[in-house]
Amino acid sequence: MATATLKSSAPNGPKHDQAVEEKIQQIRQLYADAPTLARTALERDLDALRSDLLDSPPPPVESAGRIGSRLGNVSELTIVVPLVPGGAKRLRAFLRLLNGNLKRGGDLVGTLHNMRFVFFDNDTRLLFATTYDGEWDAYIDDFVAKIPDYLDIIDSSWEGWPGIRSPGAKDYLAKHQITAEGWYVAYPDLTVAEIKRLSRIGKAVDELLDKVG
Amino acid sequence: MSSVEEPISLSTRAPALELHEIQATILRPRPAPYFGTHMLFRVDDTRAGRAFLRRLIPHVDSAAGWWSATEPWLSVGITYAGLEALGVPQDSLQSFPDAFREGMVGRARQLGDDGVNDPKGWDKPFGTGQIHIGISAFSSSDEQRGRALAIVRRQFEGFSGVSVLTMQDFGAQPGDLNSLGYKDGIDQPAIEGSGVEPLPGQGRPIKAGEFILGYPGEVGVPLPMPQPNILGRNGTYVGLRKYQSRVGAFNRFLRANGSTEEERELVAAKLVGRWRSGAPLTMAPDQDNPELGADPQRNNDFDYAKDPRGRQVPFGAHIRRMNPRDTKMTRLTDVNIHRLIRRGTTFGPPYEKDELSEQDDTVARGSYFLFISAKAMATFEFLQQEWVNDGNFVGLDRERDPIIGRQEEGAIFTIPRAPVRRRIRGIETFNVLRGGEYFFMPSISALNWLTNPNA
Repeated sequence: MATATLKSSAPNGPKHDQAVEEKIQQIRQLYADAPTLARTALERDLDALRSDLLDSPPPPVESAGRIGSRLGNVSELTIVVPLVPGGAKRLRAFLRLLNGNLKRGGDLVGTLHNMRFVFFDNDTRLLFATTYDGEWDAYIDDFVAKIPDYLDIIDSSWEGWPGIRSPGAKDYLAKHQITAEGWYVAYPDLTVAEIKRLSRIGKAVDELLDKVG
Repeated sequence: MSSVEEPISLSTRAPALELHEIQATILRPRPAPYFGTHMLFRVDDTRAGRAFLRRLIPHVDSAAGWWSATEPWLSVGITYAGLEALGVPQDSLQSFPDAFREGMVGRARQLGDDGVNDPKGWDKPFGTGQIHIGISAFSSSDEQRGRALAIVRRQFEGFSGVSVLTMQDFGAQPGDLNSLGYKDGIDQPAIEGSGVEPLPGQGRPIKAGEFILGYPGEVGVPLPMPQPNILGRNGTYVGLRKYQSRVGAFNRFLRANGSTEEERELVAAKLVGRWRSGAPLTMAPDQDNPELGADPQRNNDFDYAKDPRGRQVPFGAHIRRMNPRDTKMTRLTDVNIHRLIRRGTTFGPPYEKDELSEQDDTVARGSYFLFISAKAMATFEFLQQEWVNDGNFVGLDRERDPIIGRQEEGAIFTIPRAPVRRRIRGIETFNVLRGGEYFFMPSISALNWLTNPNA
């Protein structure tokens, strides 16, 4: 297999190529004192990786606004918070009341692809992660206006939560959010609304074809 | 450590607005017809800037007795750079919202101001950071406009330390039309406690705190206010956007999509959701009804209950985007928290239907669009991101607002019809952004405070 260094043309420009080479050198140095199996694995994959990055680098991850990453229309949000004493117990009971399925709130919001609540460190901390459409704070004010109680039932287990109506609520969320360093979305153009629309169209087309065929 | 605080008590009673403190432009509608001038100033010397403000204050109208307006009237707004130039103390400066402090240029990414709308292409003095004070004069005749200008002139002429950057006259076109030939400014939010009786179709009055600082907003609590209280209370924010109308491109688009005058006018009505006269398509679906358009008691008195599929007013039409009313949306949305008080002010020669050339695109004509809200920056960013330059909220994927959207190559506009929708291709950016700025519009007391902020 031809390595990219032998290629005569540089589709993304010499600057891009140089930057890729520099990053690869840096990785090599960082892996120098890694276990042998890591070094071997890196060296085995490096040629293919280099050639991919030189020929067709993936579009860079963008910012979702105030915090978080986005690809196309789809953004990520990961929040890690300490829980108040008894908070895990309350929140777990609430989630179990919903059979662990957040469909009610998720469907209502309309922009959420998924959500997860994970308790850890002996129920003293919580990881909340979601995949959603668009900008970080575009609809937070709408949540405050439309479903404040739902949010306060959940977030009141979080230590220091000021209440969803507080002007400090957005700052609290941003402070506890950790931006993902890596992010992958299979269909970055497809929002929840668009997926639903396409699904409806798909069914309609199938019905039509069933009648014709 | 801390547990959740006690719930914030929610106000249910509408507080009376301190009308004598609130600048008139916030509550007083544009006269019809209207004549006016926008003036932009730079403060070169702090003491001179403060003296200029002090001289202006007696001429700035409050909203008290707005219904018996003594014309003409002036309004004053100050940019973040202007507050700095006036020597406002640091802790006070830092109490303003980030988006205001960054200014409209600094928020270009959040506003989607790219491509032809990129601040790089703006007309000076916009985008230079030199705009400090904006003064607008409104009146109902050209003669009165002249009187207003003379008043402002007397305050700065022969006065060093304050420079005029721009003076731009504006005024209604014949028939009260804007630069694309439509009657505009019809749909305004009703404001609780303002003493103004809502017009039919305006919806329930919206909490005053959405539009004026210091009062409870829609979620029951006042928004954070610039400090000290005397500076923030009864003030608000004003966004100014200068749009150049590409009349030739607009008319060429209509010609390409309608072979007769009737067809073209129907397309033009579909883009906006109203006929040129202002008559809404919900009430006049097949042809214009100028009497309806001219009647403020009727021309906004509708919802979309009988138009759930957008066959009268398309989902992507300008008025349905800017106020979706009861439209079923794909996302959890409260339409009442995304409203703006709008004061469009048209400049340049009137719209003509037979202007088709590319030269007609460059004639200096368009609108200085003013929008007012206690959270103008956040609301306008929401509108730009969600309702203007996207269509996902009503299932239109990436379709954009046909009137004020910044269109991508090959953009489309969908007109729902039975049995199949019509999709129009090749829609262009008909209103190009040529400048913009955020202003704080202080109360009368705050204007006085600003003349000596360290006292």
